[in-house]
Amino acid sequence: MAAPPPALPQLDLELRNIRKRYGGYTAVDGVSLQVPKGQFVCLLGPSGCGKTTTLRCVAGLEEPDAGDILIGGREVTRDPPWERDIAMMFQDFALFPHMSVAKQVGFGLEMQKKPRAEIARRVGEVLTAFEIDHLAERRPAQLSGGQKQRVALARAMITEPRILLLDEPIGALDYSLRETVMLELKSLQRRSGISFIWVTHDQNEAFSLGDLVVVMNHARIEQQGKPEEVLSRPRTAFVAGFIQGNNILRGKAAGAEAGLLRVDAPDGLFSVPLRGRPAPPRGSEVSFSVRAERLLESPGPEIGNRLSLRCNVVEYFGAYRRHVLEAKSGALVKYDQFGALPQSVSPGHLVSFGWKTEDGVLHA
Amino acid sequence: MLGARGQRPRARLTMHWKTRSRLTSWLLGAVTIGFLLFQWLPMFTMFLLSFAGENGGTTFPMNGVSLHWYRKLWDADLFDDFKPPMLRSFLLALGCSATTVVLSVSAAQAMRGRFLGSGAYFYLLLLGLMAPGILVGFGFAILTRLLGIEGAWNTTAYVVHVSWALPFGFMTMLAVFNRFDPRLEEAALTLGANRITAFRRITWPIILPGVIGTALFGFSLSYDEYARTLFTAGSDGTLPLAIMAQLDRQLTPELYAIGTVTTVMSLVAIFLCTFAFWLRSRALRGRPTP
Repeated sequence: MAAPPPALPQLDLELRNIRKRYGGYTAVDGVSLQVPKGQFVCLLGPSGCGKTTTLRCVAGLEEPDAGDILIGGREVTRDPPWERDIAMMFQDFALFPHMSVAKQVGFGLEMQKKPRAEIARRVGEVLTAFEIDHLAERRPAQLSGGQKQRVALARAMITEPRILLLDEPIGALDYSLRETVMLELKSLQRRSGISFIWVTHDQNEAFSLGDLVVVMNHARIEQQGKPEEVLSRPRTAFVAGFIQGNNILRGKAAGAEAGLLRVDAPDGLFSVPLRGRPAPPRGSEVSFSVRAERLLESPGPEIGNRLSLRCNVVEYFGAYRRHVLEAKSGALVKYDQFGALPQSVSPGHLVSFGWKTEDGVLHA
Repeated sequence: MLGARGQRPRARLTMHWKTRSRLTSWLLGAVTIGFLLFQWLPMFTMFLLSFAGENGGTTFPMNGVSLHWYRKLWDADLFDDFKPPMLRSFLLALGCSATTVVLSVSAAQAMRGRFLGSGAYFYLLLLGLMAPGILVGFGFAILTRLLGIEGAWNTTAYVVHVSWALPFGFMTMLAVFNRFDPRLEEAALTLGANRITAFRRITWPIILPGVIGTALFGFSLSYDEYARTLFTAGSDGTLPLAIMAQLDRQLTPELYAIGTVTTVMSLVAIFLCTFAFWLRSRALRGRPTP
């Protein structure tokens, strides 16, 4: 047996090929991840994709069937939750209904057998820092959603764990609160240097918060990288489709030339940059994406990729105007027009569109 | 048939559905009150007759009003006859209650995670509800005799009583755990509590109201159990056995007085528990903010 690769002490978290099955259902299928010190990691994916199970494996609430989990370079795969250097925040906060705010914020320190005076002092500090000191004697039932969220966060952070695991931590909050809370959490993570592993199905959360975004689907990681990377270069058709504003076009590979793949699609022949990847064999099914704001209306002759589209619907979102267009083949294409431009395409219009070749992203 | 709804002739008596629904609720309320009377009136007749005069009998019409039978109960030998069985019944009920709590909480805790045969386990536990008491008691007596064990109120009867109260306690605790959010335990675990600490500090305080209910079941089911005790209590009987024996010998309003006293004791116990519940739920809601 080959020796396992040496643990990297500078990593807060390392997952090596984690697998977890429930009966005949595979929840996590070979997930590997490296989280350097003090990172904000977002696990993004639809419900049932395995992101929460992965998080629970890190917490020790689930035991993976195979693979290793290392926290701060130490192997903890079989360790119980209470022996791991983590804390967790649950979606509905899981506040203890029978404990006052002060009592449950101090719970973690109490478990560490800290002296009573120190617990009282630290709880006071943390409550002040989270601006909930006036709630110290309240019970969870007397708190608003935003207050509960702060209490849950204070309770998790007080022991200064190496990693904070957050399972849809702001999913239970009102929309109006979410943006503020997101900003606060981001700056809190920066200041504390604690790694956050944040599970969400909301791409806005993931891309605005994460240093590293991990997109999961069907128990596997589809793509991981910096937000800009994932946004601009979706690796698979799933990622492209999951991210808002991508148009996915499918066709057959029809030969490569000068770093460009020719794709024979029902609505035309398009060129897509290979970006150093080997060309797929001729005739194989391929897909690529073009972002909706990258489409060009009535393109000039220098634009090679073009197709004519009929406009179905125009929606105005304030920052941009979204057009839902239909190609001859029936494929739906979105075109987003940013800036306060006057509306130039109306429902019923048949308009020619195109895009610069470098805006096409070929999928694996 | 388009428009058929509109063409239907108007009913002579038109009544808004809300009005009808209010009438229905009055009717159901009347039935409920009737049921409650049906449940409590028999006991009330006993309460009344226990306050009969010196020459009062055990049936209506009531002959005078006095505390005579209570005084007699206090003074006379009859009460002395009843004291030991009462003490036995009380101790037996306490023991049954405590055991039922431990077993019910454990059994329901086990049912939280599915295991091989958990379905069979569930039905086997509930079978205790279906089994006719007199047969359970008799069968158990035969079994203990076969094994050469002398029956007694605090050994064989105790075991049978626990087997009777357990299904009730088990069902209660199942319902309690159904509403219990397991993430509370998980939160405690991720905060550094081991399993025992998490149970002690989080699970136990939250399920406590259900545990008190289970304890009440264990107590009251054992305290008035006759059929299962008859063959298993051995020579020293419990209160229900003593009362039945006395009923066989001679029926006087004294027995009504005993019944009233024990019922009042039960009601006081229930009242105290309810009060404790109320205090606790108020504590969970928290004190009203100034």
